[in-house]
Amino acid sequence: MDGAMPVSESPRPWPQAASRVPYWIYSDPDIYSSEMEKIFYGPHWCYVGLECEIPEVGNYKTTSVGERAVIMVRADDGEVYVVENRCAHRGAQFCRDKFGQAKEFACPYHQWVYALDGELMGVPFRRGVKRKGGMPKEFDPKANGLKRLRVEIVNGVVWATFSEETPDFRSYLGERMWAHYTRVYDGRPLKVLGYNRQHIPANWKLMMENIKDSYHPGLLHVFFSTFGLFRADQESATEVDETGRHGILISRKGEKEANDVSTSIRSFDADLELADPRIIDYHHEWPTPQTVGMITIFPSVILQQQTNSLSTRQILPKGPGGFDFIWTHWGYKDDDEAMTQRRLRQANLFGPAGLVSADDGEIIEFSQQAFEAYQNRETMIEMGGHDVECTDYMITETAIRGMYAYYRQVMGF
Amino acid sequence: MSKTIDDHDSMADINPNRSQIEDLYTDYNIALDDLNLEAWPQFFTQTCLYRITTRENWEGKFPLSTIICESREMLEDRVAATRKSMMYAPRSYRRYHSGLKIISSSAGVTKTRLNFFVAQTLVDKPSEVAFCGVAYDTIVEEESTLRFKERICVMDTEMIPNSLIYPI
Repeated sequence: MDGAMPVSESPRPWPQAASRVPYWIYSDPDIYSSEMEKIFYGPHWCYVGLECEIPEVGNYKTTSVGERAVIMVRADDGEVYVVENRCAHRGAQFCRDKFGQAKEFACPYHQWVYALDGELMGVPFRRGVKRKGGMPKEFDPKANGLKRLRVEIVNGVVWATFSEETPDFRSYLGERMWAHYTRVYDGRPLKVLGYNRQHIPANWKLMMENIKDSYHPGLLHVFFSTFGLFRADQESATEVDETGRHGILISRKGEKEANDVSTSIRSFDADLELADPRIIDYHHEWPTPQTVGMITIFPSVILQQQTNSLSTRQILPKGPGGFDFIWTHWGYKDDDEAMTQRRLRQANLFGPAGLVSADDGEIIEFSQQAFEAYQNRETMIEMGGHDVECTDYMITETAIRGMYAYYRQVMGF
Repeated sequence: MSKTIDDHDSMADINPNRSQIEDLYTDYNIALDDLNLEAWPQFFTQTCLYRITTRENWEGKFPLSTIICESREMLEDRVAATRKSMMYAPRSYRRYHSGLKIISSSAGVTKTRLNFFVAQTLVDKPSEVAFCGVAYDTIVEEESTLRFKERICVMDTEMIPNSLIYPI
């Protein structure tokens, strides 16, 4: 040994085939720590919230980027800032309310006070008492504010990043995904309809995979396939950006019908009828014919447009074995009452009690349980071949392959 | 001897007493604890409102529900979906209630508030407190039976342990 060890990011080798994913990436704590650093705190934009959540100066919301607690706040200059919720002094996560209104932030431990934009304004007894004690002379309040993240507000959505290297948001998405993003987030003002919060005991990547997996909706989700909301024979597409990290599932809804495809789906239930079909009362509201556009923006959020139901689904990892999943349902500010009611009704399909979405939280928990027990096995993501490409069909796992092609690059596998 | 009907008596007749209300909640919980889901819609009037929401949405005046059913048919649809289309790990819920307060009772319409507490047990797992909160209910008599015209369950639970499958 001459001491010149080869630099290896991981002692665990990735399987030979790109269309295989090793189970250990879902449970290894070292890999999880590395993901936080390289992905969530690295050169990526993470979802923080909607601008309409903090309309007035002094409004704030607490959330997280990865596992790091942050505050999204509208400061005295009217601009939105995202600052760490961590006192510069002793690290206390001082801001405890989910939403609030403040003139300044004060850490209750030793009353250090920060302006809304994070600047350190006051340190009690900084000069000591009777010239005794206090902070050293060289202490610079300017250099000890709350850490600010870079922020971009894009058509009502607030994005933040810890890294100076993250390109602007539009470049980060790429032109193809930008077009999908701006189809729904088109610049019209938004309004929040409400929140759902659930903890899913599964690795965070499984939720990204789930929404990139266009093969499963018509099979796992009997409700979708039965009522023609998402089925393999419908006009559809799966697209990814140039890097493979972001994706979209596009579909055009059909009707409930027994045909070659639906009858070959074991789970298709011709007997299932809705006594009150208002929960699937669809009203076409965007220019393109698609009725579903499920966007995954790596690594932190899913942007849901499922018929008229709109939500952001934020992923907050909590260790390798689980994540908090925060749903913010929204509508356009100028929606009429009927459209608001329609969105609220259709929300029955989504969230922790969703007639469709509950299936997803459950199934990825089942996957996680196997991954933890069989570290060295591999999952198959070979539907539709081995490449990463945009397709005009659903029976493919290309978008999952895209994410892992990018993931291996970032993680050094 | 013919009975003289005065206002006081007639009101007493149409407004349920506390023990009848208690019985309604007991029967409701037994039906759901025993997974007799098909009986659940019958605890509601034909036109009804059933909601499960969170304290965050309730206090923030956000209209979103975790579950919303606006008719007995929608309750039936949820039962059908829970039985036939949803995929979830097997489990049981056991429901406990306390602190019944009859807020008002007049002209046959009774408004109550009641704490709820749901213990969830998954296969091979210890039981856990899955959901707790307060229900605001409106109870009326229909077809000689006390039924919910409105039931709004407001959960304290900040983070749902994965899924909410059965009604509360």
